[in-house]
Amino acid sequence: MLRRAIWLLFFLFFVASLAPAQQPQQAVATTHLKVGDVAPDFTLPDQNGTPVKLSDFRGKKNVVLAFYVLAFTGG
Amino acid sequence: MVLGISVDSRFANKEFAEKIGVKFPLLSDFTRKVSKEYGILDDERQFARRTTFVVDKEGKIQHIEAGGGAIDPTGAIQMCSMLKQKETK
Repeated sequence: MLRRAIWLLFFLFFVASLAPAQQPQQAVATTHLKVGDVAPDFTLPDQNGTPVKLSDFRGKKNVVLAFYVLAFTGG
Repeated sequence: MVLGISVDSRFANKEFAEKIGVKFPLLSDFTRKVSKEYGILDDERQFARRTTFVVDKEGKIQHIEAGGGAIDPTGAIQMCSMLKQKETK
């Protein structure tokens, strides 16, 4: 009886130690960029195919870069 | 100036822009190059994580909002008005 209890305890510890490893790793990695860094320049086409260059706004406008996940996903 | 960026094709962005009625440019980072450079490409799923950067007139990053916080534009809006105030001083 005692032996079974010990085995059960052992088994439970074993399961408990496995559990965290089975959880999917959360994608917590965010950008390496920091406040004060120069924003990497880029040229990308807008929805009409017109190229938009970030550095074209330099000295003219503040820019909000809003990266969104995918179109049609409410984000 | 607001620029939306995603890894969608520009055709998807055009339809998306029309559907939700945005007037600002939606940029297509189809090759994922820019998302990678900004360090926000989700390696597994190959799309950009929701992140907002506020870039000032000198091209410097003034504010970063990542994850769930980036849905709420309050932080970005506050930073923009702060930058505007700085300019008028």
